[in-house]
Amino acid sequence: MYIEWSPKETWLHQINPSLKLLVIISLFTVMLLIDDLNYLFSFTIAVLLLFILFTGHPFKRILLFSIPFFVVFVSTSFTMILFGKGETTILKFGLIHITEESFYRGLLVGLRALATAALGLTFALTTKPVLLFYSLMQQMKLRPAYAYSFMAAMRMLPIMAEEFQTIRHARKVRGWEGKKGAGGFFRKISAYSIPLLSQSIRRAHRIAVAMEAKRFRMAGQRTYYYQTGFSWNDVLFIGYFLVVLAAGYYFSAEWPYFKQVNF
Amino acid sequence: MKPIVQVEKLRLAFPGSKNMLFKDFSVSFNKGEKVLILGPSGCGKSTFLQLLSGIIPGSIDIPCRAEALEIPQEWGYVFQDPDAQFCMPYVDEEMAFVLENLQTPREKMAERMEELLSAVGIRLPALHTKIQSLSGGMKQRLAIASVLALKPEVLFLDEPTAMLDPEGTKDIWDTLKKVGRDKTVIIVEHKIDHVLDFAGRIILLDGNGNLMADGTKGEIFARHRTELREQGIWFPGVWEEYISQIPAGSKSIPANGKEVISLSDFKGIHGKEVKIHVDDLKVQAGEWVVITGKNGAGKSTFLHALMQFIKTKGNYLLKGKRILKGVNPAKEVAFVFQNPEFQFVAGTVYEETAFSLRMKGLEEGNIAAMVENTLRVFALEKQQHLHPYQLSTGQKRRLSVAASIIADPDILLLDEPTFGQDAKNTFAILDKLEEFRKKGAAIIMVSHDEQIVEGFATRVLAIDHGRIIKNEYILESERAGMTCTV
Repeated sequence: MYIEWSPKETWLHQINPSLKLLVIISLFTVMLLIDDLNYLFSFTIAVLLLFILFTGHPFKRILLFSIPFFVVFVSTSFTMILFGKGETTILKFGLIHITEESFYRGLLVGLRALATAALGLTFALTTKPVLLFYSLMQQMKLRPAYAYSFMAAMRMLPIMAEEFQTIRHARKVRGWEGKKGAGGFFRKISAYSIPLLSQSIRRAHRIAVAMEAKRFRMAGQRTYYYQTGFSWNDVLFIGYFLVVLAAGYYFSAEWPYFKQVNF
Repeated sequence: MKPIVQVEKLRLAFPGSKNMLFKDFSVSFNKGEKVLILGPSGCGKSTFLQLLSGIIPGSIDIPCRAEALEIPQEWGYVFQDPDAQFCMPYVDEEMAFVLENLQTPREKMAERMEELLSAVGIRLPALHTKIQSLSGGMKQRLAIASVLALKPEVLFLDEPTAMLDPEGTKDIWDTLKKVGRDKTVIIVEHKIDHVLDFAGRIILLDGNGNLMADGTKGEIFARHRTELREQGIWFPGVWEEYISQIPAGSKSIPANGKEVISLSDFKGIHGKEVKIHVDDLKVQAGEWVVITGKNGAGKSTFLHALMQFIKTKGNYLLKGKRILKGVNPAKEVAFVFQNPEFQFVAGTVYEETAFSLRMKGLEEGNIAAMVENTLRVFALEKQQHLHPYQLSTGQKRRLSVAASIIADPDILLLDEPTFGQDAKNTFAILDKLEEFRKKGAAIIMVSHDEQIVEGFATRVLAIDHGRIIKNEYILESERAGMTCTV
């Protein structure tokens, strides 16, 4: 049970992972501050372009990943559109009351959710965790103790997944079935989590001892197998979003796609 | 000559434990010696090894005191669990982790990796290979390679082959003999077959960490057989002694035994791939079938297919009833997992044992009598109020077998039930299983032990690449020369 992706390397992969992380976190903040539907629309298109064209993953997989996004977009926008408040009524039918304000507000919230998800996934799809931690150690001075603990923990996940399967089989063999209802639910959780956790805690302890036996020290100098640095791709990445933000602002002022509405 | 590793008057106690594990314990090792430390499970062998290397108290804080403690400057430690000694996902990254710790310049890393991997006989198409895709034996060799990067004078080996099949075990010892030739090697190991032509000196400990004997292997095995037997330690000839006690003619299958399992054109499918394919197989009551084969040959998969853990196709009759999709065969078939912890469902040993009886809906009075009896037979009476997790490894294994056979299933499947057990426990479990078989149950078990085949199996199935390549009855022990091939 191990998911293996080997996407094509694109320029997005070659961006310094720490820088990519920082840029994306700041973009999340910028997105929260954009209240202009036209501006956000341009921005979302720009993010989707990166997501669809430059992650290096096959188109089919990209489409598959887009399904939950679409659901998120539709559900968030529709709750807002159908039940929001506003003065300029477009349609009223029982509980449903669509106003111009609620329509635009819904689209805004939906687009925001869509862009956040696409941006986050673009990061995840183009960043190798190991490289991210190497870069955090080298560029952000993250202490190796934390970086290697995280990497060791990630190695344990597939092993835990296998163990979970074994426990399921074992329960089936013993004829153990959780009772229904809230009490049964908690019993089920403890029945699975206690053996999994006890096994994992012991394994984590053993890995920690083994790491120290290989002369890993909490502090001190070390060399790096993967050298992470900066390149023109980083400039391109930052430049792309600067241009998008500037152009989006210009378009929203000069050629708005939607009627400007004040909420 | 000055010893390279030495400890004098060591005292050590685990926090919360009343008894001291080591009390005034002294021992020393000379440069170039190959020493095997033997003792019953739980006697503190691993603790001792960790102390000699400085892992205790450096990484694990346990209160201890010694009048003199000489720890080697450069040492390497190989642990038993291949999955619990790597922190990185790829071979090159794991090797790099050690080299980075040693501040090896980045340009020299690749060359050094190639050098170390070839020393342990690992040849990979690319250094960037997933560790998870390697076999257990390969993983342990990788562990040895990363330890060699430390340029150790002393190698500490803590049951390095405990989790490996016979082939992997032999590989590891061949590698260790080669790379450890000019080093001091201190070994803790249960499976001593391959160690004995490597180690010259043996240190024998009792259950409380007291020194029982220290000498050449010839001396130890000649003079201390009684102690070895009492402590349940594996030693050359212990299997033969045990098997010779089994009364002759016990390997007979009842003539009128009913057919309990019948398979034809039976396939076990996992992820769209046929992992096991059985053309025709019938098992009758009273048989003890041992399944042998290499790691990954499909032995466990076969048991999983019988339990319907994976998708199956073809004809599968269980006591004459056809097993169709969605039928859980667990009512007639009990299954003992390799790791007993995963199958415990109750909070106490008593409840765990009673569980299957309760599921059957028996009366409380009957249940109490049966549980008490079973606990007595499996020597778990004193532990009946403990949580199953508080038991020792041997006790856990006995409990998992006890809880599985108490409800008298007709068929018992076991996945390496004697794996990693000491001699005493192994023989205790085999005795119980033999009794159970004589009552008319069928046993199908995966095992690497040739001695179990010789002493108990009425039939051997060898599996390779998902196919049965040998199906042979052994109705009397092989010594009598009465095998009949079908």
